[in-house]
Amino acid sequence: MTILALTPPAPPEPPGIRPAWPRPRGSSWALLAAAGAVSVWALIGIEFDLRPLWQDFGRGWFIIREFFSPRWPFLVRTIPAWTETLSIAVLATLVGCSIGLAAAMLASQVTTRNRLVHRGSRLLLSMVRSLPDVGYGLLFVALVGVGSLAGILALVMFNIGIVAKLTAETIDAIDPGPLEAADASGADGLQRARMTVLPQILPNYLSYCLYVFELNIRASVVIGIVGGGGIGSVIQVELNRFNYSNLSAIIVLLIVVVFSIDQFSRLLRRRII
Amino acid sequence: MSARTRPETPSHKVKPTPSRPIPSRPIPSRPSLPHKWRYTVGRLLLLVVVIVSIAIVDARWERLAEAPPLFADYSRLMLEGIGHYPGADPYLDYWSMAMDLMLESLQIAWVGTVIGAALSFPVGFLAASNVAPPAVVFAVRQVLNVIRAIPELILAIAVMLPLFGLGPLAGALAIGVGSIGTLGKLTSEAIEGIDRGPVDAVRSAGGNALQVLRWGVLPQILPEVVAFWLYRFEINIRASAILGVVGAGGIGSLLSQLFDRRLWDRIGITIAVIIVVTVIVDQISGMIRHRIIAGPKPAAPTAE
Repeated sequence: MTILALTPPAPPEPPGIRPAWPRPRGSSWALLAAAGAVSVWALIGIEFDLRPLWQDFGRGWFIIREFFSPRWPFLVRTIPAWTETLSIAVLATLVGCSIGLAAAMLASQVTTRNRLVHRGSRLLLSMVRSLPDVGYGLLFVALVGVGSLAGILALVMFNIGIVAKLTAETIDAIDPGPLEAADASGADGLQRARMTVLPQILPNYLSYCLYVFELNIRASVVIGIVGGGGIGSVIQVELNRFNYSNLSAIIVLLIVVVFSIDQFSRLLRRRII
Repeated sequence: MSARTRPETPSHKVKPTPSRPIPSRPIPSRPSLPHKWRYTVGRLLLLVVVIVSIAIVDARWERLAEAPPLFADYSRLMLEGIGHYPGADPYLDYWSMAMDLMLESLQIAWVGTVIGAALSFPVGFLAASNVAPPAVVFAVRQVLNVIRAIPELILAIAVMLPLFGLGPLAGALAIGVGSIGTLGKLTSEAIEGIDRGPVDAVRSAGGNALQVLRWGVLPQILPEVVAFWLYRFEINIRASAILGVVGAGGIGSLLSQLFDRRLWDRIGITIAVIIVVTVIVDQISGMIRHRIIAGPKPAAPTAE
């Protein structure tokens, strides 16, 4: 030891004292690399090019400026379309949620003890869910013609998929106590479902119905564009005629309506759950 | 030990004699049933709403009766279309075109989700009441609510298509901006739900605000937030198909053109492609999400 070593050197650390620095596992890096590769493939595939934002801005700017000068008097003429949209949403929600509840009971292991039936229903429901609402809109327009009937039916199919999945997951998570009580007192499947499952899932199920009603209002735009009636067909007409100022009035009202329904349903949900 | 020494007669069969009066107990009255009038009024209201809606809607209900045979015909045509598996030459083109466009829809959805996730991540912090000051939280939350109220289709039609022209880029950007709304809200709710323990630990070890966020908050929310991103990706696949109908690329444009021309066999092929790809992606994404939230399966017990 030299005189420069004023403090005695620290004794060698026994192994295992200092915890290992957390490093992400190899699999995390692999996943990240995969996500990066997919992103690059996707960006190339869609020809990601933000240059029009500052190059061709003038062309788009003209349209956007028209959008920001809405023609409010036009809204008065769209009132019948709005009531039609609301009615379509109400009817589609009612029918869709009722059928969805029955489908959820079929698709949950709790209420349907037959393995084949409940697995098969789950598969069928995921297939129903994978076609987007525009697909059902086009399908029903081809089946029953243009008009609100097609819109209602398309939204019903759309709703069944969503409500059934959410409700089936809720049913899977319920408290088994009342179920065993019902079984012990001799209830059959239907009685057990009505008396023990339904009261437990009712608040969640009602909140899903409200959520689906909201979705229906938003989906009515696209359903109307493919021919299902309601405010969507008005939007389609105005879009085709390039009446952007009329269009912007409708859009602003749509945003306001969706926003207020969202707030209203949040209020309602707080009182139900 | 014998249970009884004397058979007991039920009390209602014992006649009260003067020498042995039965003390009369007040029979408890049956509790009254809860009022049902609220239910009834609610159901009547619902009935009124339904009737009014049916009256307003002015739908041609008679077409409903004609639908099933038409549906049977079209289904048969669609299944025939699928049945001609790629053996015959035109069908190979149909299948590959549908697959290409479906992949394009996936690309649109992926890019949109990545944009939405990247932008919503900082926004989520700004909207969380335990991270940002209340004024900022309120403002950001309202902005997110407004963004959420705009359907992505409108965003695409109004802003993205005029700016970027027809094509998948407009769709991806519309989905991206639209996703910021929901993802921002879900991220902020995840941040508000964290445990204070690690945050206090980092602070007491001398971390500044950024270090608190990186080491105290981030590890707690990351699994949940990544699960949201994957869930949003699933939803965005459907959204990209919808946007295709107005010209933003992807499978939607093909579907709407085929329906216009009533080419049922190709429609069947396209719908089959949509369903199969969506179900597969949903399953994969569901498995990844489950693995992220629930953790890896515990190793099999080595004892016994």
